[in-house]
Amino acid sequence: MNKILLIIKREYLTRVRKRTFIIGTILFPVLYLALIFGTGYIAEKSKEDLKVGIIDKSGYFTEELIAKTNVTDTLNKLALIKTPEEVFKTMYDSLGYNGFIVIPQNTSWKEGLDSLSFNTNHTYGIGATVPLERKLNRLWSEVKNDSLGIDATKKQILAKSNISLKINNAKNRDADAGAATVIGYVCGFLMYLILLLYGSQVMMGVTEEKTSRIAEVVVSSVKPFQLMLGKIIGIGMVALTQFLIWIACIFIIYNIGKYSGKEAGAMADTVGTIQKVFTSVHIITVVSCFIFYMLAGFFFYSSLYAAIGSAINEDMREAQSLSFPITMLIIFSIALMTPAISNPSSPIAVWTSIIPFSSPIVMMARIPFGVPNTVPWWQLGLSMALLIAGFMFTTWFAARIYRTGILMYGKKPSWKEMMKWAFRK
Amino acid sequence: MNILEVQNLKKYFATQKAVDDISLEIPKGSIFGLLGPNGAGKTTLIRMITGIFYPDAGEIILKGKKFDPENDAKYIGYMPEERGLYKKMKIGEQALYLARLKGLSRNDAMAKIKDWFKRFEMESWWNKKVEDLSKGMGQKLQFVITVLHEPDLIILDEPFSGLDPVNSNLIKDEIYRLAKNGATVIFSTHRMEQVEEICDKIVLVNKGKKILDGSVQEVKQNFKENLFGIQLEKIPDTINSNAFETIKTNKQELIVKIKEGYKPNDVLGHFINQDINIVSFKEMLPSLNEIFIRLVEGTPSARQFQNIEA
Repeated sequence: MNKILLIIKREYLTRVRKRTFIIGTILFPVLYLALIFGTGYIAEKSKEDLKVGIIDKSGYFTEELIAKTNVTDTLNKLALIKTPEEVFKTMYDSLGYNGFIVIPQNTSWKEGLDSLSFNTNHTYGIGATVPLERKLNRLWSEVKNDSLGIDATKKQILAKSNISLKINNAKNRDADAGAATVIGYVCGFLMYLILLLYGSQVMMGVTEEKTSRIAEVVVSSVKPFQLMLGKIIGIGMVALTQFLIWIACIFIIYNIGKYSGKEAGAMADTVGTIQKVFTSVHIITVVSCFIFYMLAGFFFYSSLYAAIGSAINEDMREAQSLSFPITMLIIFSIALMTPAISNPSSPIAVWTSIIPFSSPIVMMARIPFGVPNTVPWWQLGLSMALLIAGFMFTTWFAARIYRTGILMYGKKPSWKEMMKWAFRK
Repeated sequence: MNILEVQNLKKYFATQKAVDDISLEIPKGSIFGLLGPNGAGKTTLIRMITGIFYPDAGEIILKGKKFDPENDAKYIGYMPEERGLYKKMKIGEQALYLARLKGLSRNDAMAKIKDWFKRFEMESWWNKKVEDLSKGMGQKLQFVITVLHEPDLIILDEPFSGLDPVNSNLIKDEIYRLAKNGATVIFSTHRMEQVEEICDKIVLVNKGKKILDGSVQEVKQNFKENLFGIQLEKIPDTINSNAFETIKTNKQELIVKIKEGYKPNDVLGHFINQDINIVSFKEMLPSLNEIFIRLVEGTPSARQFQNIEA
């Protein structure tokens, strides 16, 4: 027992003392936020603002109507073109237009205007065409309204007739599906990254011990199982440390912001967001469940990664091909997360959050929706119990491959051979 | 008293009988040579003695008690043939870590490391990393780490490979010193000249079986072919004697084989009677190398794969 502690200590200290750990701990949240906000920003920026000419042969589209629409919807500029189609076709590019639309002569306001062509020299994605289509529909509605004799007051009445649905959860009045969705995504992705990154750290650590031949020196002092377990626990503690540092940072930022008053704009926003999250989601449940699923999921996957690490030699390509099935399980879990968040009580969400291999990610995506409302206690309990049983099995299984693999050099073993190592006496 | 007794030890792998019924005894304080060609089963045997492998059958008795790998690790120091240390770890910390894994307390380990580093003039290495060391320096460090916890049984697999003569001698002297202080050294190699020089007792294994066991002198006596080298002032043109036959003639020296029932004095008498001056006369014992080759020869040089049903 004492020896496992020594191994854990070494694994932990050598990693935590490394500069990459400190940089990673600081940089990761920054990059993570940059990824979230960056993609939003890029999506916002990548909207195209088109200038489109309208050649109206039907006479429905007046200059006044188009100008009004341009004011209400500023994206994409529409302009009524008086030049004939044949002439405009040759010169729209040089006039600064991206394209033009021809409204046919026999158009009737009572009929639809199904399919118009957007004549252009480029290919535009839906990012550009959908807003344009929306704007044209808005314009067409105006035409119809005018023809139907609907005036401004009637239009206002029509605009007010939209129904918006809000969920009123009798058991949990603070529940906010929006915040839960965001937290669910953040938890799921964070879990995914931790499992993948720290799992492969275990794998590389084991391979390093094997290829540098220190393993034989160490296993003459301790059992292979102790060496493997020490490494897994040590690296697990590193992951936990990193997570706790992040949580601590959030609390510090929150408290500084809270007491420094409301004048600081960005700070107040952050505090406001965190406060909203705190009130809408039971944060203690989420954090403590996250720690449990992070550690248990990590033990589940990293012992398998350790077994792979013990089987491979110096060649990193072997590592890739052998660890592929395990990495696939993690990727599959993240694919299951999206349907689970959009409908956290569906049977697929329930069962994949109970089955051990996918439960760390899927359950973490569901928990922000509320325990015990969305996730009943029995599901949480069963999921945790099965995950503990699961990691005990994978650790046992991995240890049997590990003790043979760690001293075996030469050609890469096949999965079949590794199974033989695991199940022989 | 024997520090280690191995009784009918067996370890079968899927395609090989790596160790097939080997028994041996190693007296305390001796330097013991474990010899054999590549793939004979030496490493497997050692791995069972160090507790890395469990034997399929047989007993290992260490210090008079059944070997318990978990608690007896501190009595054994093992230097594998393939050396290995953590490349990125500081040398001092690494020595401390490995010593503590053997069960030494922190203070105890620290004192011993300081002592050994001083003896081997390695004090300036403490904060260096293994990747900064040359191969020979790495070997020295590995040796120190192996013997640091003062094990009763030291197992060295090819300890001199890659060492220059100066460092070789340094380690050789340490081996003698450790043996004098009561440690037992098992020395696994296929370099026979070193064995002849260092070892008291040897065991030769081939294809998983023990084929020879005894002290170096005993073994040589057992394999002698009654060959003698005799240097004469002048070698006569014809030698005719019932007592011996000439095997080979060098410039001044005859190699003769004494026939059954005759003694060395009969050879000497033959030349004395002819009034030929004898310059020197010595028994030609076979070298371990010759014995080794004779015993191992004829068996396929590489072990063949076979199916084991067990």
